[in-house]
Amino acid sequence: MKTSHLSIATVAALAIGAAVAFGLSSGTLLSLLTQATHYAIFALGVGLLLRQNGMVSFGHALYFGSSGYIIAILLQLKAVPAEAAVGIAVLGLTAFAFVIGLVIVRVPGVAFGMLTLAIGQMAFLTASRSRGLTGGADGMNVDWPSTLFGVPTELLLKPAGMLILSWSVLVLVLLGLGVLLRGRFGSVTEATRDNEERARFIGIRTLLPRAAVYALSGGITSLAGVLAALNTGFISPEGLHWSLSGVALMMVVVGGTRVLWGPALGAAVYFLAKDVLGDHAQHWMAIFGTALIVVIVFAPEGLSGALCRLLRTPRRQPPAPAAGNPSARVAH
Amino acid sequence: MFIHLFNGLVYGALLIIMCSGLALIYGLRRVVNFAHGSLYMLGAYIGYTVMLKTNFWVALAVAPAVMALFGVLLDRYGFRLLQNRDPLTVVLVTFGLLLVLEDFVVAVWGKTNLSVSTPAALAFSVDMFGHAVPAYRIAVIFVGAAVALGLTAWLRLSRAGLFVRSASTDPVTTAMQGVNTDRLSAFVVGLGCALAGLAGVVAAPFLSLSPSMSSDVIIDSFVVVVVGGLGSLAGAFIAAMVLGMVQALGTVWLPGSSVLLPFLLMIAVLIWKPAGFAGSRT
Repeated sequence: MKTSHLSIATVAALAIGAAVAFGLSSGTLLSLLTQATHYAIFALGVGLLLRQNGMVSFGHALYFGSSGYIIAILLQLKAVPAEAAVGIAVLGLTAFAFVIGLVIVRVPGVAFGMLTLAIGQMAFLTASRSRGLTGGADGMNVDWPSTLFGVPTELLLKPAGMLILSWSVLVLVLLGLGVLLRGRFGSVTEATRDNEERARFIGIRTLLPRAAVYALSGGITSLAGVLAALNTGFISPEGLHWSLSGVALMMVVVGGTRVLWGPALGAAVYFLAKDVLGDHAQHWMAIFGTALIVVIVFAPEGLSGALCRLLRTPRRQPPAPAAGNPSARVAH
Repeated sequence: MFIHLFNGLVYGALLIIMCSGLALIYGLRRVVNFAHGSLYMLGAYIGYTVMLKTNFWVALAVAPAVMALFGVLLDRYGFRLLQNRDPLTVVLVTFGLLLVLEDFVVAVWGKTNLSVSTPAALAFSVDMFGHAVPAYRIAVIFVGAAVALGLTAWLRLSRAGLFVRSASTDPVTTAMQGVNTDRLSAFVVGLGCALAGLAGVVAAPFLSLSPSMSSDVIIDSFVVVVVGGLGSLAGAFIAAMVLGMVQALGTVWLPGSSVLLPFLLMIAVLIWKPAGFAGSRT
């Protein structure tokens, strides 16, 4: 896609979001779409790690929940203005992810997933046990001020306003990733993913790009966490639990990672299907678990991959990563 | 102090029963079975239902048998069909299975906590070093030791054990030597699931039954198999005992942060030796 096409697509996507937000009158539908958008951003973060690094994280809820907690604590202590708190949360978590990434991306295969799981569960247990600071298992409220970045918070908290904000963030994240991954960074990370040893032979320093992908993926996920904390005004340890990481990972797998927007599609399908099922929603997890197995067995490239094949879109993107494929694992 | 160490030993024994199944399945199928905790929970609940009709000892036989059947079917119609796929994909399939099983348990037995009484033959206390210790918990330690010794003897001394060891090292070459690795895998996965069911029934009288019992134990089991080295039984046995002791000592010395210790242990070991203590593969 040329740059002009990309900008046209971005403007069109933003316009569609605004049109939908103003066109829909049903509050429940709007809030459903908003929630789907938040998880779409979350899943994009998890999907980026799988797509560019071939790594599966079972602990990304760490970034989703922590951003809300960081903001809530900073606002509770009245330490900094809310705008700065948002910045500290997102940039701080990205920096944290980079430092952690420098250590853990060296660990290959399933062990990497287990490490992310362990780090995530430590955050979950810490948050649910430090009652004084975080309210423990009961969670804590986020006291947003009346204006945020010059916009009245009330306006943002209206269903339509929230959807426009979230949708715009999603579109801009996709645009940013699209531009970034077309450049050298995309080629370097894909080469490293497919065969780290060979990438090193041709003179690529592989550790920094891999850690950068992990940091970027954590940063995107923390953005989703900020939006969710703004939407609900509340944060609890559930937002850090590993089952949430698992759900996001399932969205990624159902959506597929061959195209960039695959994980977002997975999140949309997750929430829309849940809503359509309505009365049967108490067995939702069983139904989604079955759907996950069916997709993995019959459509290994996910729904987006199947869709692309159906529409016979010529392949612009390199093939989806074979996560932890043996050739990539030779290198240590 | 003694009672903490004793309870650590009991928990370590329970983890040995859980993790030997997890390690066996990983050895043959290269799958980290996320549903293993759910199988343990399902075993405990099936045991509960059987106990209502009969008694504890029947449940101790029936629940593992049901889970063994489940495991054989899981291998035949799940893992075998997916054996050429990327291992991480199969891990996600077991995650889907986890969700289905959790929902099944809630649908059948409800969300309320259920409790199981200690079998009458073991409902007494033994005096050890001046502490009254429930006999049932001593029995749990013996079951854990029996599982560890039994499996080790089976793997080291029997012909089938030899096949399991060779198939764990190289399934293709083993199959070329005339071993039916598919049947062997079905048996081993069945055995692994049966052990999860056994752990569930054994745990029922001293941990109450609730839909959250699976996630409590699965994370600890992962810590054990990863620290011990994926697929290594001996590593898992030692790591299970170490984890039980670490938690026991943690509650005494670091009451505030003892729950974090298993994770710190795992992170330290993985960064130092990504394959775990006894593992040669990742």
